[in-house]
Amino acid sequence: MSAPAPLAVTETVGKPERPRPFSSQNLARTIAGGYLPLIVATLIVVLPLLWMVLSSFKTPGEIVTTDLKVLPESVNLDNYSTAMTTVPFGRFFLNSAIVTAVGAAVKVTLAIMTAYALVFVRFPFKNVVFILILVALMVPPQVAILPNYVLIAGIGGKNTLWGIILPGLGTAFGTFLLRQHFMTLPASILEAAEIDGAGHWKRLWQIVVPVSVPSIATVALVTIVSEWNDYIWPLIITDRPEVMTLPVGLTLLQNSEGGTGSWGILMAGAVLVIVPVLVVFAMLQRYIVAGLTQGSVTG
Amino acid sequence: MSFRVDRRHFLALAGAGTTAAALSACGGPDTSGSSATSAAADIDFKDVKPAASIDFWSNHPGKSEDVEKQLVEKFQAANPGIKVNLVTAGANYEEIAQKFQTAQAANSGLPGVVVLSDVWWFRYYINGNIIPMDSLVKQLDINLSDYRDSLVKDYQYANKQWAMPYARSTPLFYYNKDHFKAAGLPDRAPTSWAEFAEWAPKLKASSGAQYAYMYPALADYAGWTLQNNLWGWGSGWSKGWDITCDSDDAVAAMQWVQDSVYKDKWAGVSSKDSSADFGGGITSATISSTGSLVGVLKTAKFNVGVGFLPGGPKATNPVCPTGGAGLGIPSGISKEQQLAAAMFIKFVGEPENAAAFSGATGYMPVRKSSDMTAVLAKTPQIQTAIDQLAVTKVQDNARVFLPGADQEMAKSVAKIVTQQGDVKATMGDLKKTLQGIYDKDVKPKLKA
Amino acid sequence: MSETTKARRRSASSTSQPERKRPRFSGRTRRDFLVFLALALPNLILIAVFTYRPLFANIQYSFLDWTLGSKTARYIGFENYATFFGSDDAPRVLGTTAVFTVLTVGVSMVLGLLVALALNAKVRGTTFARSAVFAPYVLSGVGVGLVWMFIFDPGYGALAWFLRSIGIASPQWFNEPPLALTMVIIVYVWKNLGYCAIVYLAGLQSLPADVMEAAALDGAGAGRRFLSISLPLLSPTTFFLLITTILSSLQAFDLIRIMTPLGSGTSTLIYEAYMQAFGSYNRAGYSAAISVVLFAILLVVTVVQIRFVERKVHYA
Repeated sequence: MSAPAPLAVTETVGKPERPRPFSSQNLARTIAGGYLPLIVATLIVVLPLLWMVLSSFKTPGEIVTTDLKVLPESVNLDNYSTAMTTVPFGRFFLNSAIVTAVGAAVKVTLAIMTAYALVFVRFPFKNVVFILILVALMVPPQVAILPNYVLIAGIGGKNTLWGIILPGLGTAFGTFLLRQHFMTLPASILEAAEIDGAGHWKRLWQIVVPVSVPSIATVALVTIVSEWNDYIWPLIITDRPEVMTLPVGLTLLQNSEGGTGSWGILMAGAVLVIVPVLVVFAMLQRYIVAGLTQGSVTG
Repeated sequence: MSFRVDRRHFLALAGAGTTAAALSACGGPDTSGSSATSAAADIDFKDVKPAASIDFWSNHPGKSEDVEKQLVEKFQAANPGIKVNLVTAGANYEEIAQKFQTAQAANSGLPGVVVLSDVWWFRYYINGNIIPMDSLVKQLDINLSDYRDSLVKDYQYANKQWAMPYARSTPLFYYNKDHFKAAGLPDRAPTSWAEFAEWAPKLKASSGAQYAYMYPALADYAGWTLQNNLWGWGSGWSKGWDITCDSDDAVAAMQWVQDSVYKDKWAGVSSKDSSADFGGGITSATISSTGSLVGVLKTAKFNVGVGFLPGGPKATNPVCPTGGAGLGIPSGISKEQQLAAAMFIKFVGEPENAAAFSGATGYMPVRKSSDMTAVLAKTPQIQTAIDQLAVTKVQDNARVFLPGADQEMAKSVAKIVTQQGDVKATMGDLKKTLQGIYDKDVKPKLKA
Repeated sequence: MSETTKARRRSASSTSQPERKRPRFSGRTRRDFLVFLALALPNLILIAVFTYRPLFANIQYSFLDWTLGSKTARYIGFENYATFFGSDDAPRVLGTTAVFTVLTVGVSMVLGLLVALALNAKVRGTTFARSAVFAPYVLSGVGVGLVWMFIFDPGYGALAWFLRSIGIASPQWFNEPPLALTMVIIVYVWKNLGYCAIVYLAGLQSLPADVMEAAALDGAGAGRRFLSISLPLLSPTTFFLLITTILSSLQAFDLIRIMTPLGSGTSTLIYEAYMQAFGSYNRAGYSAAISVVLFAILLVVTVVQIRFVERKVHYA
């Protein structure tokens, strides 16, 4: 390995390991080392989604053929109208939005409160509580289907939005993540507040929460995403379109028999489920990615 | 992250565990041992008034949602006191069964009428989840003799009628008329697989399609259509309760199937829906449900021919199984709801309604007296399905009465036709598995 | 003891270590006790009712011969466990689970780190690429599964068309169990890679600049700098990813459910448990036994990781 001699750091333009910005050598290296992997990675993500959108405009005849054409013959919205008349997508969308908003808001609040209690409040069995939370993280949600169905259906939660939301409200993941973050907060910031006579409630919301916004954003993001995409529980607890969420509604488009050429309709349905999330994600990505990146390294 | 589980903590953990265990005691099955199989008794529906509202759980087989909606509206117009909520309870028969059984566990949210497929109703019967319909048939004067006999008989067990036929199908042999013509073949389905084996190389040479024939997707009820081959070769998945899938004839049949894929290379295996592959021109012929007929006619850009299933070296008739779904009534709902449910079942089985359902989907008209002229004018191919009904055979017990057997069959067939597994060994393993299911899950529960 | 020192001591103890024993039930302690309960109890009750209760119910069910849908069941002790470990089911299901977990976790983490290095390059366009790479992580598993099913379709899929154009027949992704597993792993990695990449990127960006500069000045090349400085410093990130990706991989469900509904080739523990109860077998007791096995594995993995981490990984 050629070790360049240690140089004094100066503003010299002609440093050997840093060629001029526009030299052809630099350009080639930038493309190979910088852009190429980026472009490849981006294409791998974008192409399947683009394919989904293109296919959603194709007629069954254009899809069920071995003679593939990349672009649809025309922007044909039949698949969308079929998808939207077969199942009430508008309603699904609204239900998903309500379930996600309410579920995520409650979960994040509970996670903040529990994590604060675990870190900043004295309690004899704190570690036991924490272990119990950690263990809860490991209970696969599918395991809970049957017992929770029996309970929720028993108290009248079948085919209701609260029946979808309630069993998921307890949050082990958010609590875990925020506890890990709160542990890293410097003690000094709370001391001052305690001297000022601020109680726990005030310290929680006026000091701990404001300095933890990135971590809380992470938890919020992960919670929102999982609520929005949750599939098996809403599938089990609903059988009326009025209360179904988007992923459940999407599977309704699949049909067991006579499904000839239904790919176009399914892709249209997938577009209706995926694109709104992508749009929101694109608008908020700066905050979301920043939150996620800052939150996770502290874990 | 630092903590240690010392004894004090462990005890607290255990304490929390006990509390949760106590909480969990509610719900779940009764383990006291008093096996309650009371559903077999006929229920008396005299002086019962039909409920004002029932749910109808359907997966809309054969894209039947629209026609089901129409039937519901017609029923409500004819019976103003009863409201029927059409519920999409799943995308296929398995999902609907999953929901039905989950609802059984909670004993709440049960529908009045549920769509049940050929492989599910018997399990519901064993578990006491559905009621016998005999007293309802009598009270509502349902004309059983006008239903197609073989379809009604499919739901009889222990001298009781457990469901009524609804979206009933048989497999059909679909062929691409244009490909057959180009290959110089007669415009008909082959009468035997031997004949098709002669045709296949010609088809493959002239059609440009990838395959001459495509076996139905394994996930798409492979155990159903392959009964055709097994029967043709003089065997079956089972004979009565004897599992016969490892008999020499059965092995020969499956060996022939494997050879058509690997040795002669004119057959393929669909990965999702062979009727779609056929409609797209990937294969010149396939076997698929009659319920796919209307869909195939809509997508195919060529002339579609349909015919009876081919026979085998040992049997040419009957080699076609019936299949599809019926309608049943849960045991866990009130008599009022059960009565309303039976009225609805009677209604959708009326000759003109059965004809409308058939015309919209391609399923069999379940009534003998259904006037099919209008439907046949539009989709003449349905006539073939009706004619074939005369030469159908009741499915093998192993497939329809053993829980999970259909899936085990699909897995074994996958081993044979997609991984070139040893046929004899695979079928031998399958027999062991099926026998295990019978001994464990079925035999103890059958009343002698 | 002055108010200040007390506060300092408590803050110090609560930020890292289990606190020291102190006299119980002083007024202060009791108040803290109540504050703790007020803050944590709602969440804890929800977790107890909707996570622990089902867990213990499952342990109960696992000792029963119970057909889903049947009102009655029979107590059979450990027979379900004996059946599972005594039959072909155990090697098949555990093997599938191991392959799925090791490959999804391994590939996501290695590729994630590589993508993170690319994203860390000082070139324009990284912001867009970063969002793009992360996007699949937030998408519905059902939607993603459907889109990829269409791409993999051996008849009309884009992949089959591409392979045909270079003269290769499409593999039977859905029919051949090993290929089905491969397919699901590919899609799972596609969906979750961005998460690893973004977390690693954050790790890279938080590396102390002075250390890296000093290393560069000492003459360490880029590769060496990465292996002997960046990678060890990234160990907390790696641990965090390892624990989260293993946990989520062992619980991967939606993609398997949508893409391979029969689970042939893709029957991981969680999917087998689901299929045994809700698929066509309806063996609710047997299914519960499999979920208990899965839970035990998850528990062991976590305990091992925690032990390992306490000793090896350095925390900032």
